[in-house]
Amino acid sequence: MSKGKGRKRAISAGSIIAQVAMILGAIIMVAPILWMISTSLKQPTAVLTPQPHWVPNPPTLENFAGLFTKSEEFPVVRWFINSLFISCTVTLLVLLVTSTAAYAFARLQFKGREVLFMVVVATMIIPGQVILIPVFLIVQKLGWFNTYLGLIIPGLASAFGVFLLRQFFMTIPVELEEAAYVDGAGPFTVYSRVILPVAKPALATLAIFTFIGAWNEFVWPLIITNDISMRTLPVGLMIFQGRYSLEYGTVMAAAVLCSLPMVVAFLIFQKRITEGIALTGIKG
Amino acid sequence: MKKRNSNLTAAMFLLPYGILFTVFVLIPVFYGFFVSLHKWHILSTAPQFVGLTNYRDILSDDLFRVAFLRTAYFVVMTAPLGNMLSLLLAVGLMQDFKGTPVYKVAFYMPVVMTVSVVAVMWRWLYSTEFGMLNYYLGCFAHFGHAVVPGLVSAQSAHIPWLSNPGTAMPAIALMSIWWGAGGNMLIYLAGLKAVPRELLEAAEVDGAGPLQRFWAVTWPMLRPTTLFCMVMSVISASQVFGQTYMLTGGGPYYSTLTVVLYMYQQGFGLYQLGYASAVAYVLFVAVFMFTLLQFKLLAVKR
Repeated sequence: MSKGKGRKRAISAGSIIAQVAMILGAIIMVAPILWMISTSLKQPTAVLTPQPHWVPNPPTLENFAGLFTKSEEFPVVRWFINSLFISCTVTLLVLLVTSTAAYAFARLQFKGREVLFMVVVATMIIPGQVILIPVFLIVQKLGWFNTYLGLIIPGLASAFGVFLLRQFFMTIPVELEEAAYVDGAGPFTVYSRVILPVAKPALATLAIFTFIGAWNEFVWPLIITNDISMRTLPVGLMIFQGRYSLEYGTVMAAAVLCSLPMVVAFLIFQKRITEGIALTGIKG
Repeated sequence: MKKRNSNLTAAMFLLPYGILFTVFVLIPVFYGFFVSLHKWHILSTAPQFVGLTNYRDILSDDLFRVAFLRTAYFVVMTAPLGNMLSLLLAVGLMQDFKGTPVYKVAFYMPVVMTVSVVAVMWRWLYSTEFGMLNYYLGCFAHFGHAVVPGLVSAQSAHIPWLSNPGTAMPAIALMSIWWGAGGNMLIYLAGLKAVPRELLEAAEVDGAGPLQRFWAVTWPMLRPTTLFCMVMSVISASQVFGQTYMLTGGGPYYSTLTVVLYMYQQGFGLYQLGYASAVAYVLFVAVFMFTLLQFKLLAVKR
């Protein structure tokens, strides 16, 4: 905290203890993840040992290869493709529908604008589980049970997305738009040529959160699908563990496969993610 | 301005989101209550209106009472401890030690994982015979035994974490704290950064030590952040489902039965959607009241 000159005494005993505590804390926080990865790289006979061996010796990709040989019973590749397809589609569509709505709320004059926006924001405090059953019934009535439509469409009504983008659009100087209007552009051109390019940072933040949220979604795919080929990876992992509960190497390999895209995405975009949370108060 | 911003243009911009929001958020809020007033089997075409019967049944439902209390137990364990951990980690990051970006990534990493990954990972850590947790606890116990004989039983390393009614919920709470701490940590970090430096320096000039500065300056200034994080933690903890569904299914002896898990079992196990909807509404009202209470107790007084 004290960074001023003349405060070099900062290297005190307390500071050393605090630094050691940070290192220990970081090790404890990542230990479960490293243990999962380590286990996934072990030979089946090397997993259940009286003492934990952190480094797989010899390391093997046997468990990962094994995931793909069980494909009739557990279509892991299909689950992966489902997850990827759903997350990408949800992300793209959320950006599209929330940015147009947010633009209307931020910039267009129309009757009832404030009231409608308040209604959207107010729904953010409703716990998702409360509307789980009615949404299920509606989706079932639409004939979307066990379909990609059922997996994707209900997730698009992101009140948070509208809120985030609207707040960002409000900060864009109106002069930018005025110039375009003077040049004869209509609202759609202004939205797509002026607003969207300027709002790239906010759109990127929303895209990352939406993608992670869609990939990690568990309850909704669990109840809206029952066909093994329509499952997503997080739900598939649960089915997988039910069958191979004691083969920890195999289950950990499936868990690594399920979390790898998120970990990679997080490491690439970690600055944007950590700053986005500070700004918006949401958590992945 | 007026001509180009007509109601029609606005309607075109709002239409796609408006339809989605109406069908999948707004209508369900009311439809859910409508469903809760019925005896509604999942496959039935003609649900039977029963008024408030479902709500009356809930009040005398022993399993619901158990689920409610176990959920409260989970919230009481995770929200305060989780927030304390988040704040502690954020304070650590504020010190700007060497490697702070790495610490930040390490602390936040669990948050980007899905609940089923977290569950299978911790099920392995909690394994009674071969679990890492019991192994290291065993090491400590061994060590403690060597130092002070009789203080720690040598048996303490074979704890059946998830199959013992006494330890299952605390074990799930510990896992959940680990999973979520990084999220609130970043919000606390933003809160800490917003504390005016001049105030802290003034306190230091007046001779306040680091702890005094924290209690006298940082902590009061952080109050809105603390309130926000506590409220959000309580709301999300009260909806705990994936962890108990994956790890224990509510057992052993209902010790980890939570309200949303009970709702799921009623709705998608027994197909009683009306009753399950009523459970969801009772939870909603309870959480909402508790949120108001928190605002009353913790809000900044002016």
